[in-house]
Amino acid sequence: MAILLDENIKVIVQGITGKQGTFHAKSMIGYGTKVVAGVTPGKGGQEHLGVPVFDSMKEAVEATQATASIIFIPARFTYSAAMEAIDAGINLLTVITEGVPVQDSARIRQKALDNDVVMVGPNCPGLITPEASKIGIIPGKICAKGNVGIVSRSGTLTYEIIQNLTVNGFGQSTCVGLGGDPIKGIGFNECLTLFENDPQTKQIILVGEIGGTGEQQAADLVKKEITKPVYAFIAGQTAPPGKQMGHAGAIIHGKSGTAKEKMRILSEAGITTVKTSSEIPLRIKENL
Amino acid sequence: MPVFNSMPMLYEIEGKQLFKENKIPVPRFRAYTDSSSISQFVEEIGSDVMMAKAQALSGGRGKAGLIKKVSSAEAEEYIQSILGRDHRGKPVEIVMLEEPLEIEKEYYLAVMLDNESGKYLIIASSRGGVDIEEVAEHYPEDIFKESLSIWDDPFSYLFIDLGKNLGFEAKTLTSFTNLMTNMVNMAKQRDLTLVEINPLILTPDKKIIAADSKVVIDGNSDFRQANIASLKSQRDRHTELEFEADQAGISYVQLDGDIGIIAGGAGLSMATCDLLEFFGSSPANFLDVGGGADEIKIEKSLEILSRQNIKGIFVNFFAGITRCDDVAQGIINASKKFEIEVPIVIRLVGTNDKKGISILEENGIKAYGEMEPAARKIIELVKGGN
Repeated sequence: MAILLDENIKVIVQGITGKQGTFHAKSMIGYGTKVVAGVTPGKGGQEHLGVPVFDSMKEAVEATQATASIIFIPARFTYSAAMEAIDAGINLLTVITEGVPVQDSARIRQKALDNDVVMVGPNCPGLITPEASKIGIIPGKICAKGNVGIVSRSGTLTYEIIQNLTVNGFGQSTCVGLGGDPIKGIGFNECLTLFENDPQTKQIILVGEIGGTGEQQAADLVKKEITKPVYAFIAGQTAPPGKQMGHAGAIIHGKSGTAKEKMRILSEAGITTVKTSSEIPLRIKENL
Repeated sequence: MPVFNSMPMLYEIEGKQLFKENKIPVPRFRAYTDSSSISQFVEEIGSDVMMAKAQALSGGRGKAGLIKKVSSAEAEEYIQSILGRDHRGKPVEIVMLEEPLEIEKEYYLAVMLDNESGKYLIIASSRGGVDIEEVAEHYPEDIFKESLSIWDDPFSYLFIDLGKNLGFEAKTLTSFTNLMTNMVNMAKQRDLTLVEINPLILTPDKKIIAADSKVVIDGNSDFRQANIASLKSQRDRHTELEFEADQAGISYVQLDGDIGIIAGGAGLSMATCDLLEFFGSSPANFLDVGGGADEIKIEKSLEILSRQNIKGIFVNFFAGITRCDDVAQGIINASKKFEIEVPIVIRLVGTNDKKGISILEENGIKAYGEMEPAARKIIELVKGGN
């Protein structure tokens, strides 16, 4: 098992002929991901990295029956690429692109929700199920198969945590990088629930950041519904107090709070919080 | 996404200019960077009294004496007295003169793109002109909220109930619903994540006018909102170094510690700051080069740090979309162009790390593979140098 991604999922790379698309599609193929096609408008009919390139997502999906796509496309074109992917009928959409206008992200997110598409990102590293498949840019060599589920708002910090786990003998079921943007696809809670229901996952690591209220909502869910042990690390513990999105934001969601406040709320929900990323494997060992 | 970078807010006067362009009624106003030609404005508004408001990106202008009702005789002297005055670390460079309004009642109104729901939220209250968070606490029944799907057009009819809840009737109700339509359309067309009017004023002749503006833009939309991105506020919200970094696509926030940081990724950059503090030192900045940074960005980051007063540099990369060889080459290029006068410790792993490490080694620089030993090393070097 694992969550969201296994070795059978066929993936289309949108923007496969670009610099980033080429580099990371190659790495995904090398890891074992079933990359079945690429899409670059105007380059249909060519072959790139040993896979066929199509002009449109519709053609690519029809030809390959792929159910997932990943976007390596500049921010200004991401909106239409994501819409195209959803219209073509894929059901797992991963947006790596950084700097997507938040209104575009909101539109993609709503369209994904309306069509039962799982959207990961934008501005995210994607996901990896070790020894099975990866969609995104998480370096495969730092991962190992195991029973720790990771869900994170960060990218590179997640790699740090994965490596610490692997070195200490704790492999991973699936690692999901949600992305650091204020408006994004799936969040902590969707992943916590998936990990809770995944037999392979025995413990869950949540990596949060200052800003937003996703961690607080995760604390609520963990208190009510998650029975597996959860560990949390929050980046930004020493950051100067974050600025509020005006007063309107505070009225709707309450203050998003400092890293310390988030850690307190998470602790109260029974989650083990740690101060440095290297502390996570130590805590897991203690609890075994 | 810069995580604790300053919020991309506009000056009140820039917000009001946007309001005007989008048919949201505002008082007549004019910007002054010196105190000349005030008489012309006095003539235009046909009033001998007016509001003088210093333009600042931090709150607390009223308490700081930067907003004042003045007569035309006093205006010149007042403007001269507040131009250049420091407000929370920034000098006042613009003063706005504005026609005075007769007030029958004050309201609160906000449109925001909500991060949690991905919808536009409209928040309104008949208790405006005061701290709205206090209203929410003491009179929650006087706060009205509506949400609008990101895909829906903000037709006027959608806001009739809201207008009635606020107590508007007859022609004023229509003015209000039209204002709402214009406000949401403006937010959508100009990629604004928050538009707040506090207070919205009802005049004795039943007109509604935005007496203040608070507008937050979406920095990711700069490429399609060039007019907004080039506004003075967007230059002024940064320090000089922060602005330069921003122009180069680097998220950089100046802090006041000893060790300069260059990291890939906002989370890792924050965690690097955290780790230095945890080990008893302090970060001089937050710096995230962003995903897929090339050697030019790395070189630029080092150049920015070289102009900050620091005692050491910690380069920390766990590269995914960025490539370690680009990072290494950027460091080498920088060191050939200018002297890096402080100790530097580099931690480099991830995509293409072998290539990166060998580039550094060819130039006699050792790279660390793990973050904590590298952090301890730079702290030791900095302390040793004292």
